[in-house]
Amino acid sequence: METMARPLRAGRAPAELMAVYAAEERSSLPGEEQPTEASGPEGSPGRAQSADEVEPDARFSFANERTFLAWSRTALALVVAGLGIIQLLPPFPGIPWGRHIVGIPLILLGSVVSVVSYLEWKSSQRALRRGEPLTRTRLPQVLAATVAVIALVAAALSVISAATRS
Amino acid sequence: MSPADDIEDTDPGLARERTELAWTRTAISFAAIGGVILKYEPAAGLLILALSVLIWELGRLARAPGPAGPGGSAAAAWVRSRRLLLIAVAVTIVSFVALAIVLFGPPSRGLRL
Repeated sequence: METMARPLRAGRAPAELMAVYAAEERSSLPGEEQPTEASGPEGSPGRAQSADEVEPDARFSFANERTFLAWSRTALALVVAGLGIIQLLPPFPGIPWGRHIVGIPLILLGSVVSVVSYLEWKSSQRALRRGEPLTRTRLPQVLAATVAVIALVAAALSVISAATRS
Repeated sequence: MSPADDIEDTDPGLARERTELAWTRTAISFAAIGGVILKYEPAAGLLILALSVLIWELGRLARAPGPAGPGGSAAAAWVRSRRLLLIAVAVTIVSFVALAIVLFGPPSRGLRL
């Protein structure tokens, strides 16, 4: 069987490339057997996969996996930051729960990022298998907004604490 | 031609190595937070340290060109999905342990600088 060449198309986004590759494979395989005894990541190994799903290019799967791992490390960093703020920072004078107000949202955000990033990975992998555009994620906006709000709260607590002390 | 016959699927070059390094960084992150939690909750800290070893080993599977690596069969995709689910569950557990420490642990006076 002849190996199909897959030259990279310069200037195209990965999702667009995957759509092109998937379309090429579907159109070039009219008589070839399609995977029937297969599954997506959400299923069991024996679960049937729909005929229009093709395992994506390994490079895209690896990139998707690395993105998920990067989000997981971000989630861990948020948890460590929250734990560190509560356990290592000296208490805000006059505000006994001040450290908890800053640290607990960071820890909760870490668990949310972890779960949502897994769902995002799953969604992206499904889109890659189907040759569809990747779904737009709101996770970076949520992370940036939450961290900004927590930073503002921390600044406000510092000011209030200093005013209370003086 | 099945997708696995494509040379770029069977040998994705340095993408595999980059992914293995990402797994290694994740395992080191787990080990670091396990070390931190070990100070407050030794049992939970040891559990997280053991998880970091498991994640390190799972990362080595990313290097394998066989069924465990991405781009392989559907069964390999299922295995990959479960590996990543384990990471998501582990991070969630770590955050709950951290939450338990800060809510129910002894109050900390913080570092004296």
